[in-house]
Amino acid sequence: MSEPLLKLDRISTGYGDLTVLRDIFLTVAAGEVLCITGRNGVGKTTLMRLISGVLPPQSGSIAMNGQDIAPLEPHARQHIGLSYAPQDSVTFAPLTLRENLTLHHKDHSLDRYQGLFRRFPRIEERLGQVAGTLSGGERKILAFCRVMAEGGSLLCLDEPTEGVQPENISHMAEEIRAAAEAGRGIVVVEQNLSLIEQAADRVIVIDHGEIVHQTRNGPDMRAEILEKLKV
Amino acid sequence: MQEAIVFSLNVSYGIISLALLVLGLAIIFGLLGVLNMAHGELVAIGAYTAWAVQSAGLPLLLALPVAAVAAGAIGWLMEITIIRHLYRRPFDTLLATWGISILLREAIKLCFGLEYKSVIEPVGGSITILGADYPTYRIWLMVAVVLGFVGLFLWYRRSHAGTRVRAMVANPMLASAVGIETAKLARRAFVLGAASAGLAGCLMAPLIRIDPYMGVDYLLSSFFVLVVGGLGSLQGVFIGSGVIGGAETAASTILGGTGGYVTVLVISILFLWLKPGGLYARR
Amino acid sequence: MRAADALLLPVFALLALVPFSFGDFTAYQLSLFILYGIVGQGIALCWGRVGILPLGQAMFFGLGAYLGGGALIWAEGNWALLLPCLVLAILLPALLAGLVALVVFRRQTGSGPFFSLITLALSMLTYQIALTASDLTGGFNGLTGIPPLPGTDPWGNLYWVILGTLLVTTLGTTWVLRAPIGTLWSAVAQNEARLSFLGYNVAGLKALAFAGSAALAALAGALYASQQGIVSPQTLGYVLSGELLIWTAVGGRQTVLGPVVGAILIGFLSSELRDGFALWEVLLAAIFIGVVLLMPQGLGGLAKPLLDKLSRNRETPARDVIIPLSDAPSQPDLSFSDVEVTMGSVHILRGLSFDMKDPGLHCVIGPNGAGKTSSFNALSGLLPVSRGAIHWNGRDVTGRLPHQVARLGIARKLQVPMIFHDLSVADHLNIANWAQNLTVRDALRPVGFRRRNEMMDELFTLFPFLRDEQKTAGALSLGHRQMLEFAMSVMNKPTLVLLDEPCAGLSKLETTEMTSAIARMRERFGISALIVEHDFSVVETLSDHIYVLHQGQLLAEGTLDQIRANADVQAVYAGGSK
Repeated sequence: MSEPLLKLDRISTGYGDLTVLRDIFLTVAAGEVLCITGRNGVGKTTLMRLISGVLPPQSGSIAMNGQDIAPLEPHARQHIGLSYAPQDSVTFAPLTLRENLTLHHKDHSLDRYQGLFRRFPRIEERLGQVAGTLSGGERKILAFCRVMAEGGSLLCLDEPTEGVQPENISHMAEEIRAAAEAGRGIVVVEQNLSLIEQAADRVIVIDHGEIVHQTRNGPDMRAEILEKLKV
Repeated sequence: MQEAIVFSLNVSYGIISLALLVLGLAIIFGLLGVLNMAHGELVAIGAYTAWAVQSAGLPLLLALPVAAVAAGAIGWLMEITIIRHLYRRPFDTLLATWGISILLREAIKLCFGLEYKSVIEPVGGSITILGADYPTYRIWLMVAVVLGFVGLFLWYRRSHAGTRVRAMVANPMLASAVGIETAKLARRAFVLGAASAGLAGCLMAPLIRIDPYMGVDYLLSSFFVLVVGGLGSLQGVFIGSGVIGGAETAASTILGGTGGYVTVLVISILFLWLKPGGLYARR
Repeated sequence: MRAADALLLPVFALLALVPFSFGDFTAYQLSLFILYGIVGQGIALCWGRVGILPLGQAMFFGLGAYLGGGALIWAEGNWALLLPCLVLAILLPALLAGLVALVVFRRQTGSGPFFSLITLALSMLTYQIALTASDLTGGFNGLTGIPPLPGTDPWGNLYWVILGTLLVTTLGTTWVLRAPIGTLWSAVAQNEARLSFLGYNVAGLKALAFAGSAALAALAGALYASQQGIVSPQTLGYVLSGELLIWTAVGGRQTVLGPVVGAILIGFLSSELRDGFALWEVLLAAIFIGVVLLMPQGLGGLAKPLLDKLSRNRETPARDVIIPLSDAPSQPDLSFSDVEVTMGSVHILRGLSFDMKDPGLHCVIGPNGAGKTSSFNALSGLLPVSRGAIHWNGRDVTGRLPHQVARLGIARKLQVPMIFHDLSVADHLNIANWAQNLTVRDALRPVGFRRRNEMMDELFTLFPFLRDEQKTAGALSLGHRQMLEFAMSVMNKPTLVLLDEPCAGLSKLETTEMTSAIARMRERFGISALIVEHDFSVVETLSDHIYVLHQGQLLAEGTLDQIRANADVQAVYAGGSK
């Protein structure tokens, strides 16, 4: 059996002496979209910070393609193919959109974004503008474009649809599906059920720092999640 | 008329030389959030380098690279041994760099003694501008500094490396997430700041008093410029230098040296009280 | 702190033996180092306790020395003239220090480098003045021919005066640090924001500490003038300031006697080594850097575990005092009119208007980024309001500082629990209590009082873990931290408490505990609450009235059923999980 793209084994983490996530086990295979959902403040973003390397684990192991990545800092994880869009401060506010999209590519070329620009023409229209002038949703789209075109094998998106218009959410879902078809693994923290329904293969529900439910995308999924979230 | 020209040249010189001296502190504080208390001693090291090169009978131009390398090397040593462990502990950084400033000062005393040193201007004489005579070296210095600032500004705004630095300053976490090795970039920025402090000291050496205790004056005036101008932008450095340099020149003319110092200090305290972000707040 | 008691007797016994064992010259040298040590005690008070670092402390030492020296010359041995002048020589520098700190800290939270550099600059300035105003100060040569205190001899009995002064400052500092004011100073170092939300004027607390440290420095300075007979500008300078800091750091900034030990130790080493060993000063700077990096507690930190073993821990019990709750009006009257908040180019609140005039539990909901927390921040003075106004009981409260808002009866609990990490649960409850009931006399008495009334009884019933009063807050779980902070917020029966996601990160059981506590406070004490909440199960239990925010504006308000039926609200939450 080949190693999963990403594997967290009994990971606990938190801030200082507080433990926010306890004994998390999860895997993501290449070509799979895993959505993580749950109420606010239950540790979803903490999990993403852990995967991206911003936050070190307190215990447990984290591996990408079988390689232990716990000691790697975020930039080193990016170099081995992990692309990450955080939840807050998703852009470099004083930089132009062009700079935001190209600064980490040696060739400074926007070619890799052409497909995404067709989906999200607002971004291309405003390339010369400073990212700080964008609305919250537009910033999310900018970050989404950056991650999708980064060329990583594992894409991590933290609440990509926050503040984004419904039609663009569908575009995002299509892009995510296309990336999965192309063999990339995708982890999305999301509260928006329509994106989850359109994009997810599997869904994990987190509550109080623990995984409380796992399910595959299907007709019953929405009801299951809502039940777990107690709405 | 002549007096007016000399006066305005004096004010320009005051502002420009101050901006030159502030630059190193502004780079390190603006980019890394570290208030380098040893800034003044790095300036002093640049000045002593100029003196050493000149007394060895070598051309003063040679002192420029030597000063930059010497101060940069000390900055590099500071960064890898001490500063990088303290980036998230601003209080300890303040103390540690304060300790380093004492260490450097004592080392300077040990190597060069307590007495004043002076450096002879490499280009003497004066140039006549609109009928007013002004020392040639100061004119050259002003031109060089302004050109240097323009170059630095363009590099920061336009170059690829400059963009990455701006990205790191704006959002260090995201910079790291997009693959920028922020620790390495931070070290380079620190070395750059230290080297520019050394360079400033070397350029100013013919015009200032050189002694082991000179550092603290430059630390404080640089700090005032940052408080007034706002932390960490080149525009802020110039605006702050304008306010502080202008106020000090004007007040010293009217009230004498101590009066000038009081004025600058009061302005800075008022800024901290009423406009803590400075005139050109970045964030 | 108790550990220091064990050290007191042997240290002072040793110091008292010095003139007999080592002769008058050594005692003379020692008395100078003791004076520096007293300045160090003041630095330690600011730096080790409150967390503000004065870099120009020699300035107050020098001011005390010049003023004291001038007084000694002028009074010509007449105690009646001398005494008031000496008092002034101590009070004036303290007053100056307090003023400077108030000005610098009023709008600066945290204790960043600004304050430190301003103190350094002031010390440079006074040095300049002392050099140039030679008519007054004797200029470069200094103030000379100062007579010693009447009836003393610098080479003889003045030593006993100085040693006595050290005993007084040591006991005095220890006393004050054990009093409520000492606890408050520790709290400043750990969480300024929490203190201001309780209604404490943090800038004032810091200014008080700095003034106290300046008074210690000036006292030592005045004695220095008497001991040395000459005061030169160097006593004000930044070189001495730096040395004072090194002695304090090496001796231990969190102990009362540490700085004195540091000053004596390094003082004698320096006088031995300075001339013979060229590298001594460089080595000393290196030692200082090493202490900062590796041994932040200095020698005091090394000695502490040993002393803890020696000293028995005698906890002085606090008095239980029954203080009735205030009869503050429980009718909230809050209104936001067209409030705008802008950060850079981002509009956070875009003309938010709502009224809250009914007592009860009110929830604020809305998607992320709707401006819920920002509206709280605008109200409690954390965010500048660029347009519009906020009224409370008919008064315009826009732009007040956090502690001023708190004193109006608007308490606040933040989303991430804000606690004083190293302080005990008892300290937390006390600090919240003192916020409204502390007289100056009580603030300076080490035996604190604990309030007992129906509120405290209720809190102990709701949150039994609070009974374990000696536990440090850092050892509490996230849930207990949330509850502790909630208990602090409601302690003084505010009219309104702002709760920002009070149940974030809590387990189901804890969520129930928290919600019933909020309801109980409303029921029994009439405390109204404005609650930001995402968890609809909480909203269902708690809300009498709901405000829905969207993009920095009020989208809708009403009862839960009205909100559920509202088409705009449904549109905003469309596709969402809630």
